[in-house]
Amino acid sequence: MMLSRTARVFALLLLGLVMAVPIYLLLSNAFKSQQDIVASPFGFPAQGFSLEYLVRALNSQEFNVVGAYAITVFFVLAVNALALLVTGPAAYVIARGTRRYHRVVMLVLLMGLFIPSQALIIPVIYVLKTLGLMGTIPGFLLFETTLIIPLSIFLYVAFIQSIPRELDEAARIDGATRLATFWLIIFPLMRPVVATAIILNGIAVWSDFVNPQIILGPGSGIYTVTTGVYAAISKYSTDFTLVYPNMLLAAAPVMVFYILMQRRIVGGLISGATKG
Amino acid sequence: MQQTSSNARGAATAGRTPGADSQRVIFSKALRQRARLRAVVNDSSLLAPPLVLVGLFVIVPIFVALYLSFTNWTGFTPPTPAGLSNYVRLSQDRDVQYSLQLTAIIAVVGTIVCNVLGLGVALLVNGNSKFNSLMRVLVFYPYVIGPIIIGFLWSSILGSNGAINALLHSWGGEGFPFFADPTWAAVSVIAVIIWSSFGVNVILYLAGLQTIPESLVEAALIDGASAWQTFWRVKLPVLAPTVTLNIVLPVIGLLRVYELILALTEGGPAGTTRTLVYNILNISFRNTQFGYGAAQSVVLMIVIIIITLLIIRLRRRSEEAVAA
Repeated sequence: MMLSRTARVFALLLLGLVMAVPIYLLLSNAFKSQQDIVASPFGFPAQGFSLEYLVRALNSQEFNVVGAYAITVFFVLAVNALALLVTGPAAYVIARGTRRYHRVVMLVLLMGLFIPSQALIIPVIYVLKTLGLMGTIPGFLLFETTLIIPLSIFLYVAFIQSIPRELDEAARIDGATRLATFWLIIFPLMRPVVATAIILNGIAVWSDFVNPQIILGPGSGIYTVTTGVYAAISKYSTDFTLVYPNMLLAAAPVMVFYILMQRRIVGGLISGATKG
Repeated sequence: MQQTSSNARGAATAGRTPGADSQRVIFSKALRQRARLRAVVNDSSLLAPPLVLVGLFVIVPIFVALYLSFTNWTGFTPPTPAGLSNYVRLSQDRDVQYSLQLTAIIAVVGTIVCNVLGLGVALLVNGNSKFNSLMRVLVFYPYVIGPIIIGFLWSSILGSNGAINALLHSWGGEGFPFFADPTWAAVSVIAVIIWSSFGVNVILYLAGLQTIPESLVEAALIDGASAWQTFWRVKLPVLAPTVTLNIVLPVIGLLRVYELILALTEGGPAGTTRTLVYNILNISFRNTQFGYGAAQSVVLMIVIIIITLLIIRLRRRSEEAVAA
């Protein structure tokens, strides 16, 4: 190999340290007093670890963590369900299509990959206001679904193209409609790619901040985990007994999910990237 | 007639009377046309839902952004025409020029460092061992947690009374102005951006490395190529499409950086860490000048379209060179 063994091990240990220290601080300082965090942020606390701060953050009046979890999980599920209903059959038509317009439709649907949502958000507010959907959950869900259309189409089309045509042609000759063929024949085979899409899109929806903050707005009282943490932390950024526990509460569900599903997440990304 | 009909219908029509046959041909042509039409209608009904959404929330907004950029829209009252005034202001706005420069620096430096780190780490952790999969999990977790929490986390590490400065103080030293000094603030922001996003490049390069045929590398080594030569002459050329993806995705991602900066510095000190997107949202919501924000959005869209086309064009050449 190009580098000596010691150099490689050293480089990887350094990298591991740089990546791990923030998560160590997040985990340990959420259980320490302000005095201990300031006196020795990296070390063990003189007053010992305590659950007090985490409990206080959980019961905080300003940021209803449990409510935010529920709302965010609902958004993740609703957006994924909508996206699957909308993009699944369309991906099937595109993957099996031989005409020019199929390719054009695919390119139009992928356009969103290249235009960041932040560049669109100002005119989208105007569109939502015109439709009477600004500040509403349906408005947010529709825009958020649109944002995950490109990745879903990209993954689904590549996967369906790898399914032999004979499978669904037999069903169609028997008189099944396209929609029925998709849901009855193709969809059951798509489990791995649907899981990948749901995980990646789910992470995107969970960690989205700008769109819920702007479309739902702080006035609506609807907080996701990210907008709730922002509201809770930004005002008190010097009180670390508030900052660390809130960050931990926001990060813990995705971290647990990530550790449990890491093979699927990283593996799904790798297979998705190779197919493209 | 007989000729064409037998061509069209083939052996199935053999032995039928000519008159009935030609009628059948006309009939089946109409049937086939109807079937084709039905297929298109059927297709469209399945393609329509995602197209309506993309039309409503991507394509229409592009034109709405153009329209709004020629108005004074406050976000509350209907937009009033403003002519070119937003664009005139844009061309003289120091803040916008500064944020464009900063965004360009973030995009260029970020893309280069993320690619070097991404490929380097991917080469180091390629292979199936417990240690390697632990490293993959470690480099990728910032992506999973998301930019707003990562931003707050690093702000509590690097901030003026954050963990590192607390450590420096407890050693009797002076604090370090990670976010207090304009230059260091920009450096710190870029470092955190790279820290949180190069994991994606690692994963993409790992995917690319898996597509390199084992036999190709072995053949090169048997022919006496050094590991260094094998990397440059064999592995890297095969990775050409991966490299394209690894440039396009970070560039688009880095041009839109916002949440990290909001959580790290709120654009400070004195607006020196404001990116273009930060400016757009700041001017629109803090100052309720949505028309001016829309004009800046138009600029951002144009920049992104030009850069994407440029990269795809440049990379196509090197990808074709590999294929040839």
